[in-house]
Amino acid sequence: MVDQAKLREVAREVISREDVRLLIGYRPGTYGFRARPAFVESAEQVEELVFTPACVSNLASYLVLEEKPPLPRGAEPDNRKVAVMVKGCDSRALVQQMVEKAYERDHLVVLGIPCSGVVDMARVEARFPGVLSAGSIIREGDDFVLSFDGKTEKVPAAELLADKCKRCRYPTPLVSDIMLDDEVERFAEDDFSDIAELEGKSVEEKWAYWAEKFSRCIRCYSCRNVCPMCYCEDCILDRLKPVWMRRSVDISENTAFHISRAYHLAGRCIQCGECARVCPVDIPLMELNRKFYKDVEELYDYEPGLSTEATPLLSTFSVEDREDFIL
Amino acid sequence: MADKILKKDKAAEALKELSKFRLFAPAKSDDVVLFRQIEDPAEACLDYANSTVPPKKVVFPQTETLFRFKLGNPELREKNVEEEGTTVIFGLRPCDARAMSIVDNLFSWDYEDPYYLKRRELTTLVGMACVTPPSVNCFCASVGGEPFGTENLDLLLVDMGEEYLVKVLTDKGGKLAETIGSFMENAPEGAAAKAEELAGAAREALSRSIDTSGIEAKLPALWDSPLWKEVSAACLGCGICTYLCPTCHCFDIQDEVEDAEGRRCRMWDSCMFREYTLHASGHNPRPTRKERTRNRISHKYSYFPGKFGVIACVGCGRCVNLCPVNIDILEILGKVVEA
Amino acid sequence: MKNPYIPYLVEILDAWYEAPGDRCIKTFKVTFADPAVWDVWSHRPGQCAMVGIPGVGESMFCVSSSPTEQGYLRFSIMKTGRNTSALHELEAGDRFYVRGPYGNTFPLDEWKGKNIVTIGGGIGQAPLRPVIQYIRDNRDDYGELTVIYGARTSADHCFKQEFEEMNACGDVCCHLSIDVEEEGWPHFVGFVPQLLLEAEPKPDNAIAVTCGPPIMIKFVLQNLEKLGFQPEQVYTTLENRMKCGIGKCGRCNAGPLYVCKDGPVFSYAQLKQVPEAFA
Repeated sequence: MVDQAKLREVAREVISREDVRLLIGYRPGTYGFRARPAFVESAEQVEELVFTPACVSNLASYLVLEEKPPLPRGAEPDNRKVAVMVKGCDSRALVQQMVEKAYERDHLVVLGIPCSGVVDMARVEARFPGVLSAGSIIREGDDFVLSFDGKTEKVPAAELLADKCKRCRYPTPLVSDIMLDDEVERFAEDDFSDIAELEGKSVEEKWAYWAEKFSRCIRCYSCRNVCPMCYCEDCILDRLKPVWMRRSVDISENTAFHISRAYHLAGRCIQCGECARVCPVDIPLMELNRKFYKDVEELYDYEPGLSTEATPLLSTFSVEDREDFIL
Repeated sequence: MADKILKKDKAAEALKELSKFRLFAPAKSDDVVLFRQIEDPAEACLDYANSTVPPKKVVFPQTETLFRFKLGNPELREKNVEEEGTTVIFGLRPCDARAMSIVDNLFSWDYEDPYYLKRRELTTLVGMACVTPPSVNCFCASVGGEPFGTENLDLLLVDMGEEYLVKVLTDKGGKLAETIGSFMENAPEGAAAKAEELAGAAREALSRSIDTSGIEAKLPALWDSPLWKEVSAACLGCGICTYLCPTCHCFDIQDEVEDAEGRRCRMWDSCMFREYTLHASGHNPRPTRKERTRNRISHKYSYFPGKFGVIACVGCGRCVNLCPVNIDILEILGKVVEA
Repeated sequence: MKNPYIPYLVEILDAWYEAPGDRCIKTFKVTFADPAVWDVWSHRPGQCAMVGIPGVGESMFCVSSSPTEQGYLRFSIMKTGRNTSALHELEAGDRFYVRGPYGNTFPLDEWKGKNIVTIGGGIGQAPLRPVIQYIRDNRDDYGELTVIYGARTSADHCFKQEFEEMNACGDVCCHLSIDVEEEGWPHFVGFVPQLLLEAEPKPDNAIAVTCGPPIMIKFVLQNLEKLGFQPEQVYTTLENRMKCGIGKCGRCNAGPLYVCKDGPVFSYAQLKQVPEAFA
């Protein structure tokens, strides 16, 4: 696990640089086991920084989320670099954002965190409910060790790990300026067995399955907003002229929303799982995204977010591209 | 009417009887508890913590028709809420019931909102006291509520282990209790005292709190405070905190047309969305999440109390529990108090 | 009680363009399709109404006619979005829908006996027009009436004919401007805040009312202070995105004020307490 003192030391050096305006990392949350994003603008703030298996957020999202209102007359934009801490999965979002020219490589200082997996916070809180005072989670071998309210509990990692971590192909960041720890060997293979059941369903069964899930959707757009790859300046969802998607919440519009989003992420989703994590009504959005991911990999031998030298899948054409799925 | 007892093994029959009305009760969809219209009592899940989406959606649906029209025909056909008939929300938490009384202020202020008020009139609220706090982030007692609160409820159920103590609080509640009277018996002596004891313990068990006195006056003075940038930095700008809030009531109005048939409808909207305040000219008076967060907190704890004399927050903790990035209203209010 | 979300059908008596261009301005003179509505409709200068077409939408506009003009309502509407574009398609004989009147009014009763100065820019003259008309129709109740108005070009001037009449009648002091020099323009060239300094209205026993683009209002307010006007003597209107118009949907607030209910008319003294009013 990352040495917390080293992490703060590196962060201090980075934020002290004149060409860095902001460092995005993690700090303890407001209660229980939670950790949350930290926005560090001065060296004094680095003391609160941590990295633990509770650091679930993909901070790459913030690089494309920042709103830039018109500057006051005469004011110059602050174009200094942003430093960001990324796990292996998160780093793929940076790569893919750069493949799509969201910003230049030079814009970033990447602090890479080789990661042996984060927890599924819902599982942690279900197992240890009602913890208010600050609790800690650390990884020790094959276990998570949780300390809270004067107690220490050891739990096999597999019981609390986030699902995405159990099949992580890229635990070590694929892009970084400063790597905060030794490389983590790939510890799992991804055979997409988790979506085999969905793939095996008939069309009618699939519709029944998703109709139930999508009928719960309240269109809070947390899945869209948290997604590091959902960063269109003018999302079709928000357009009212013309209305691509109605704002009324019903099964038809909800389905159109989720299918549109899944298609827009085909060949772009980097499997960070944030959409499914934040969904307040537990819609298993990653099942959709993973089906697309698997198809893209099989059809085009393409995985997004691996190399900044890559070209976006859907903006390339090769005569060898398969087209047998076109009716 | 005197207190009654509903044995848990009779609860299903009572619910079956109530399902002759439009009955909403907490029910599980996968691991998520939501208020759903139920016909089969087996769907109901009464030993739940709290629903993810508050039951406000029963009286203030996420999307509802205001009127219908045919293109080219000047007639506007108003939606008749009366047709929905008698409605029962069974097993809602006292905070969510209290939230409705807070929202009543808004919908009955000046112009009366006929859709909301008609539904409120048609709806009987059967509460379920919080014997243990549903979540670690509950703070109802700080904002005028309590785990056994009866405000705005017609009936209150208290889980006593093998049975529910049923307190009849209003005439409307009494009428509903009569319809399930055959499944209940008179409460034995001492039941009320035991419930009192449980209520005290529940209050004790609330672990989070905030001193709200002075916040209403202080918020306007903190308009330019750096705290807003700090507390909103991580905000994703999604609608979770507002859509899952039992007192949030903002809505959008849109027209929808399918062939020649159209409707004007309203749907929940969120002050955390960029388009919420976006002018047609492109100007946005709340251009970033900083201004939107400031507005959300100020509206709940300053503007609304200024207008209606009550804080627009019932301490249900949903916004804290479900915020994807742990933005915590109690932490924000704490900073306001300290500032 | 009437359902406040159900609008009244109105019929267009006459419609004409005030100003050309991408963001052209069209005035509609309308009456209620059901004459009985006139028995329940009563508006005062400053008040607004939701104007729209089912299937397209609704937007809030000020009623640009004075209640002293009987038998019709006027709306002057700039083409900016979906709803306004659809409204601009309509001609005399066509119908649309109106609900209201909403919001507060200019306190014209309190202003009796005072000198009134209106300062407008572009489409901002629309809410000022009923004030001017009301005063002209109750001329003995008020002192001097000074009308200061500017737009980008002479073509962009709204209510041209009425300004000509006012200039001719002699009981109104008119000051007009355009932003950039034009051949044959006999009046002031420059921005409205400068025109205000040029016109130099006296603050004694006076009320100033200003409507126009936010940047214009900002400098007009500064210049009114320079001329000696106290914040209590200065009024303006706010506008924000609105949906319900009746204080429910939430979005139009500027700080604690709902623009749709507490406004649109505010004194500068009131707005000075609300930083979001100028956001």
